[in-house]
Amino acid sequence: MNSVKNNDAHERARRLIALAAPETLSAADRFSDQASSNAWLAAHLETCASCRAFAENAAETIHRLRAIPVAAERTLVSTTQIRVRRRALELQRHRERMWTVAVTCTAVTLCALLSTVVLWRGFEWLGARAQLAASVWQVGFLLFCVMPALVAALLLLAKDKDNGKHLADHTGSYRG
Amino acid sequence: MAQESTEIARGLRRRDPDLLDRLIEQYQHRLLRYLVYLTGRRELAEDLFQETWIRVLERGHQFNDKYAFSTWLFTVARNLAIDHMRRKQPASLDGLMNDKDKDAAAPFDVPETGRASAFDQVLQREQNEHIAAGMQHLAAEYREALVLRFQEGMSLEEIASVARVPLGTVKSRIYRGLSALEPWLKGAPL
Repeated sequence: MNSVKNNDAHERARRLIALAAPETLSAADRFSDQASSNAWLAAHLETCASCRAFAENAAETIHRLRAIPVAAERTLVSTTQIRVRRRALELQRHRERMWTVAVTCTAVTLCALLSTVVLWRGFEWLGARAQLAASVWQVGFLLFCVMPALVAALLLLAKDKDNGKHLADHTGSYRG
Repeated sequence: MAQESTEIARGLRRRDPDLLDRLIEQYQHRLLRYLVYLTGRRELAEDLFQETWIRVLERGHQFNDKYAFSTWLFTVARNLAIDHMRRKQPASLDGLMNDKDKDAAAPFDVPETGRASAFDQVLQREQNEHIAAGMQHLAAEYREALVLRFQEGMSLEEIASVARVPLGTVKSRIYRGLSALEPWLKGAPL
């Protein structure tokens, strides 16, 4: 029973040593003016040689740990700075591009809205002048709106067809 | 510190390259040391060092100025290291190092120490090497806890925040890590 109690005490003392501020590790007397657990530790260290040795070793280990410098080389730092600056520039350009795209999209949308209203009025006026039924000038308006997209699609299709023909000719002549 | 953090947060949101230059200079040794201890490999640590700063640039707006910049920086570095290790060797952090690497790698440069006799220098250097070797044999989570506590001087709460583990786990890791290093103080354990 006593040995279990002793083991618990050592365990507690060593945990306190490990978790104490490193500066206080080797100076048992400094523990006394701190919290009650530290007072207990100070008392324990006075009577326990093995825990005192643990405290000294811990202090020495920490001291050794701190004495192992891992320094960054100048080239690593400058390379990193250059990479970061380059990436910052890329991100800035990307942001500027996105800004331009956003402004353009907004402008195009506004223009489209305005021109749709103006064109609608124009077609309405023309329909009234030509005494056309409303459905007729409305269909005309729709065709007019869709026309640019239709023309572009047709042109693209024609271009694709030409390319396909050209490729077929080329392959044929090569084989021939 | 709060004001400094606020200024850093503001600069990071602007992606101010001059601020980043300054931060890289300021945290160069601390960050590299942390990464070297975490990964156990100098080359990998240097790659991750660069990636960390790129990530800081890209995700700077996520930095919360309520916390210290170093805590966030180490968290970013840690996440990158874990991502890298998961991609390479998903088993564990320590699985990153194979035996060949263990023999070949010398991540901790133990320099000559000044103002001591030649014998003392050799002795100190040897003892430092023992501890460095001991660190290499510790599991990554213990290495991390020790370096953050005793080299970076972080509080237990800050370490818990970086490592994303409960405070009790941090305490256990420090205690066990320090205990595991004890035999290495006088030389490699049998």
